[in-house]
Amino acid sequence: MTEPEKIEYKPISVREALTEMKDLSEIMIDLAYSAALFHSRELAEEVLELEKRVDYLAYMLDMNAMLAARDAEDAESLIGATTVAAATNKISDAAADIATIVLKEIGIHPIVRQVFEKVEEQLARAQVKPTSIFINKKLGELELAAKIGVDIIAIRRQKDWIIDPGEDETVLEGDVLIARGAPLGIDELKGLAEGKIKEME
Amino acid sequence: MLTKGHFRKIVDKLVLLKDTSELMIDLAYSSLLLNSRELAEEVQALEERMDNLHTEFELLVLSSGFKPKESKDFLGLIRLGVVTEEIADAAMEIADVVLRGLEPHPILRRVIEEAEETVTRVRVSNASPLVGKNLREAQIQEETGMWVLVIRRGEEWLRPRSDTIIKAGDILIASGYAAGEEDFEELTSGVRAPTAEES
Repeated sequence: MTEPEKIEYKPISVREALTEMKDLSEIMIDLAYSAALFHSRELAEEVLELEKRVDYLAYMLDMNAMLAARDAEDAESLIGATTVAAATNKISDAAADIATIVLKEIGIHPIVRQVFEKVEEQLARAQVKPTSIFINKKLGELELAAKIGVDIIAIRRQKDWIIDPGEDETVLEGDVLIARGAPLGIDELKGLAEGKIKEME
Repeated sequence: MLTKGHFRKIVDKLVLLKDTSELMIDLAYSSLLLNSRELAEEVQALEERMDNLHTEFELLVLSSGFKPKESKDFLGLIRLGVVTEEIADAAMEIADVVLRGLEPHPILRRVIEEAEETVTRVRVSNASPLVGKNLREAQIQEETGMWVLVIRRGEEWLRPRSDTIIKAGDILIASGYAAGEEDFEELTSGVRAPTAEES
């Protein structure tokens, strides 16, 4: 059992902390389900790392909110933000629970795969082949979300994981993209990554 | 022995649990952004539904007659069900902020507006090219990058299915990237026809 990190106060904005917590909690759910679906221990471990980050942010947010309140009125107006932050923390805990199922090898029943074929938003894995138009393009240039409604939630590059890649991230040959989107967009993404589809509208 | 029918029931129930829990999160954030009691109450109604669904799911899993060596796999299923319930509870806590009538702090609104995804609510006008089409034909996601989370028709809330037909007056609540919001509003108001029809 590792000792939890000691928490020291740092001045950060409540808004920034909450934005990061919200984004992380949402991406963690997708990553955790991906870890279960693709039987990936590494991805599950990434989820647990992110969980630590969310916990840290939760402490920072609470401390900063406490200091920001000067009177009862301030407290009333901040309680909504801290309540929502607590809920995002709970969502990230739920994601960590999924990751733990994967790591403890409790077992992922074959039913789970069937479930993921039926849900509205699907998760997929696609490897970037040498003939793909993605190669050496930045995610920001590709605009996958706007064009095909697909979100890249993580990239595996050899042994490294890039979680929630930013717009400046360049796609390289051999990258494994973990993506989320509607079934049609997912099919298109696979075709594009494998070099079978050569252009996007 | 797990029969095919029983297997399918478990799959369907877990799909419903997962989709409902995630829909609740989206609706809960939307209720906060739009300061909408109506949406928050919808989250509350779904939470009650989740509780029932979850119990039904657990009973189905437990009555599937698995062999001792399969018990680990089935435990995994039970745990996944618990996770969807946790997510639903978190959504309820978010919606609760709206139901309690707490003045939504500008911080909260800015967080949701600034987050990568945005939520928008529009009424489908008579002039919209979407009217009379089902969601598959409507190609909303392909055109705008926004996806419909829920449809409000009168007193009813509909979960979007590919064969759901869009009617004038429907209120669509959709989520996606801020960049697609304008296109989405144009499409539903009918001010501009979608590019596919122009060409």
